[in-house]
Amino acid sequence: MAGTAEAQKQIAEVTGDYKYGFVTDIDMDMAPKGLSEEVIRFISAKKEEPEWMLEWRLKAYAMWLKMEEPDWAKVSFPKIDYQDAYYFAAPKKKDGPKSLDEVDPELLATYEKLGIPIREQEVLAGVQGSAKVAVDAVFDSVSVATTFREELKKAGVIFMSISEAIREYPDMVKKYLASVVPVRDNYFAALNCAVFTDGTFVYVPKGVRCPMELSTYFRINAENTGQFERTLIVADEGSYVSYLEGCTAPMRDENQLHAAVVELVALDDAEIKYSTVQNWYPGDKNGKGGIYNFVTKRALCKGKNSKVSWTQVETGSAVTWKYPSCVLAGEGSVGEFYSVAVTNNYQQADTGTKMIHMAPNTRSTIISKGISAGKSQNTYRGLVKVLSGAENVRNYTQCDSLLVSSECGAHTVPYIEVKNPTAQIEHEATTSKISEDQLFYCRARGLGEEEAVAMIVNGFCKEVMQHLPMEFAVEAQKLLGISLEGSVG
Amino acid sequence: MQDDLTTGYSAQSAALKGTVPGADALRAKAMTDFGAQGFPHAKAEDWRYSDLKALRAGVYAPVDAPKVAPEVPAAMGESAARFVFVNGRYAEDLSDLGDLWQAASIRPIANHFSSSSARTDELVRGKDGIALLNTALLRDGMVISVPAGVEIDDPVEIVHIMTEAAGQAAHLRHVIELGEGAKLTVLERFIGDDSAYWQNIILQARVAEGASFSHFRLQEEGLGAVHTAKVYVNVDASGQYHVMNMTMGAKMARFEAHVRMLGEEADATVDGVALTGTGQVHDTLTHVDHVVPFATSDQIFRTVADARGKTAFAGKVTVAKDAQKTAADQSFKALVFDRTAEANAKPELEIFADDVKCSHGATIGELDAKAIFYLTSRGIDPVTARRMLVEAFTAGALERVTVDSIRDAMMERIGTWMSSRADRTVAEVQEA
Repeated sequence: MAGTAEAQKQIAEVTGDYKYGFVTDIDMDMAPKGLSEEVIRFISAKKEEPEWMLEWRLKAYAMWLKMEEPDWAKVSFPKIDYQDAYYFAAPKKKDGPKSLDEVDPELLATYEKLGIPIREQEVLAGVQGSAKVAVDAVFDSVSVATTFREELKKAGVIFMSISEAIREYPDMVKKYLASVVPVRDNYFAALNCAVFTDGTFVYVPKGVRCPMELSTYFRINAENTGQFERTLIVADEGSYVSYLEGCTAPMRDENQLHAAVVELVALDDAEIKYSTVQNWYPGDKNGKGGIYNFVTKRALCKGKNSKVSWTQVETGSAVTWKYPSCVLAGEGSVGEFYSVAVTNNYQQADTGTKMIHMAPNTRSTIISKGISAGKSQNTYRGLVKVLSGAENVRNYTQCDSLLVSSECGAHTVPYIEVKNPTAQIEHEATTSKISEDQLFYCRARGLGEEEAVAMIVNGFCKEVMQHLPMEFAVEAQKLLGISLEGSVG
Repeated sequence: MQDDLTTGYSAQSAALKGTVPGADALRAKAMTDFGAQGFPHAKAEDWRYSDLKALRAGVYAPVDAPKVAPEVPAAMGESAARFVFVNGRYAEDLSDLGDLWQAASIRPIANHFSSSSARTDELVRGKDGIALLNTALLRDGMVISVPAGVEIDDPVEIVHIMTEAAGQAAHLRHVIELGEGAKLTVLERFIGDDSAYWQNIILQARVAEGASFSHFRLQEEGLGAVHTAKVYVNVDASGQYHVMNMTMGAKMARFEAHVRMLGEEADATVDGVALTGTGQVHDTLTHVDHVVPFATSDQIFRTVADARGKTAFAGKVTVAKDAQKTAADQSFKALVFDRTAEANAKPELEIFADDVKCSHGATIGELDAKAIFYLTSRGIDPVTARRMLVEAFTAGALERVTVDSIRDAMMERIGTWMSSRADRTVAEVQEA
C-alpha cells in the first residue's frame, strides 16, 4: 500500500527532534500574571461573556480554592505555582477579522508550518478524493479561525468556538455545560471551569450525519501561559460526528500547564467518534520543560443505543494525566477506548479510561497499548464499573505494554467493580519487550535498528491505529517514529 | 475517636510490659506510630473495598481465656505436630508436639526477641495501623526454625480458636524460619463462635536458599468476626514459597500476602479461594515484589460471591529495575451469583525492567447457563450441576495443594458451602 510506504519514508526522514517547537513572534494581549477573581473577571470581560457565565466561573473558582490537588497518579513533578502563570494570552486583534484573509498572516504562517489546512481553498485543492476537514484553530487562549462554517451550517451543524457559542446559543450551552463533568468533579476540572478561555462547541442536529470531519487544533505559543480549553460536543438523536483534536507547543525550559475539559453528549442512536493526537512538547532529553497535560474527558451516552468511541495517540507532554471515559447511561449504549501512549526520555504518562455501565445491555471495549522508552514511566489506569441494575453488560479490556529500554517503567492499574451477576467482564494485560527474533529478522532484511523498532511498534499499535481517521493515522504513525527516536541502542 | 483508640490501646500495650523480654522498645515504637496514623483511612487506596468501621468504632479488649474449654477439631490427616491457640494464647494441653521438636526448634515468640538470631527489623515490616497494633500488643505466637537440610514431610497444623470473645481481640504473630534446603508445610486453621471478636494475625517467614515452604490457610471464623491476616515472606535463591488461602468465615476478612523474591530462581505461588455469603466482605491483597532477576511467580485467585456478599482482590506485582527475566503471572476470576453481590478486582503491574514476561487476566461473571443446561440435560440435578461447576471453577487454585488430605478437605468445604446455598438455588432454578 502506497500509504504505508509513505509513512515508512516519513519515519525514516525524521531526525528525532520535536518539529513543532518553534515560537511565533506575534503581539499578545495578556491577562495580569497569576490567578484571582480579578483575572477571572478580566477573562470573562475579554470574552464579552454574559453575566451568568461570569458567576459560574467565580463559583467554580471558589470551589477550586477549597479543593486539593490529586496525588494518586503514578507521576511526580514539582508543585505547580498557580500564581506564576498567565491565564489569558491572545494574539492582538486587528479589528476582528471577518474572513480568513484578514487573519494575521503570522498566524496563518504558523498553522501552515504545523501543516494544518486552515485555508479552505487549500483543503479543496488538496489530493483528490481526500476527505474535507473543518478546522477550529485555537491559539493560546482564543480561537483564531473556524473553517467551513457556512457549509456546515447548511447541514445544520453548529461548529464554532465555545466563546461564540456562549454568546449565540446560551441556552444550549447552559443546558449541557458541566452536565457530564460537574464543576467539582476534580481539581483540574474546577480550575478549568474558572479560567477556561476557549475551545470548541459542536451541535449535530437530529438525524444528521456530519458531512465532514471536524477538527480543533490547539497551539500553545506564549511563554508562562496555561491553556485551558473547553470542548462540548452534543450529538442529537440519530446523528453522527467524527471529531479530531491535535495539539503542539513550542520548546521551552519551563513547564506549562494544559488543563482541558472535554464533554460529549450522545442522545438516542447518536454516535460520536473522538480522535486525539496529542503531541504537546514533551520536554528535552534531560526532562527539562514540557507540558503538564491534566485533562478531563468524559462522554455521556445518554440515549438508547448511543455510541462514543475515544481514540487517542499520546506521544507528547512531560506529564500526562488523562482518562477519557464513558458513562453508559442509555440502554444498549456502547463505549470504546483505543489508546496508544508512547513515553520517551523523562516523560510520565498516567492514562486510561473509565467505563461506567449504568444501563442494561451496555457494552464497552478497551484496547490500550503502552510503549515506554528511555527513562520514562507509562501507566495504564482504568476502571470498569457495573452497577447492580445494569443487566447483560459486556466488557473486554486488553492492555499491553512494550518496554524499549531497561530504565523505563510500564505499569497497569485496572480496577474492575461488578455488582451484577449477568455481567461478562474480561481483562487481559501483558508486558514484554520487543522480541529479539523480530528485530533480528528485520535487521536481516536490511532495515536499520530504529526502522525495525518503528515497524514493530507500528505493528504492536495496529489495533488502535486502524480506528483513527485516515488523515490522522499517517500523522500518528509518523509521530510514533519521532517519539521513539534515539531510544534504541 | 482516634484519641480514644490510642489511649485504649496504649494502656493495653503498657500493661504487657515485661511479658516478652526484648520487645518493649519495639512495642513502644509501634504504639507511637499507631497513635500518629491510626487505622487505614477508608479512602486509602489499599483499603478501597474493605470496611474498617468495626475496628474504628471502639477499642477491642485483650482477649480472656474462655470459661468452657472449646472443642478442638480433628486434624486433617497426618501431621508432624499440632499447635492450638485458644483466644490468642498457646494451649499446651490441647497441642501435640509430635516428633517435630527433634528435627526443628520450636519456641514461643516470647523467647524470640532475647535470642541473638532474632531479626527485629524484619519483625516490623508491616507499616499500617493493623500491623502496628499487632506489634504493639505482641504477646504470643510460635517460632518454628527448621535447620538447613532438614525436610519435614507431614504438615504442621496450627489451629486458632476464638470463643466467648465478644469485643475482644487476639494479636498473634508466628515466625517460620527455613534453613538452606529445608522443607516445611504449615496448615493454619481459624475457627470461632459467633461472637464479634477480632483475630489479628501476622505470619512471617524466611525461606533460605533452596528451601521450600508450603503454607495452607483455612479461614472458617465465626460470622461475627473481623479477621485480619498478613503474611510476610522473603524467598532466597531457588527457594520456593507456596501459599493457598481459603477464606469462608468472618464478617469482614482481609488477607494480605507480601512476598519478596530476594534470590535468583526463587519461585512463589500465591493462590486463594474465597466463598462469600450474606453480609460478608472478603478482601485479599497480594504484593509479589521481584527484587532480583530470574525469579518466577504465579497467582491464581478464585472468588465466589453469593447474595449480599462482597469480594475484592488487589494483586500487585512489582519488578525492580534490575530484575530482568522475571516471569510473573496472575489470574483472577470471580463468580457473582446475585444482584446484591459484588466482585471487585484490581490486578496491578508495576514494571521497571524491560526483559520480563508479566501478565494478568481477570474475569467476572456468573455461572455459565449453557454449562448448567448441558449438565442438567445429562440427568444431573441443578444443585449438583452448580456445585460441580463451582468445584471446577476453584480447582485451578485447589489442585495445586500438594497435600491430599488438605486439598480434599478444602474441596469438601466447597461442596458443603454450595449445598448450604442450594435451597435458594433451587428456588431460583424453578423461577427460571
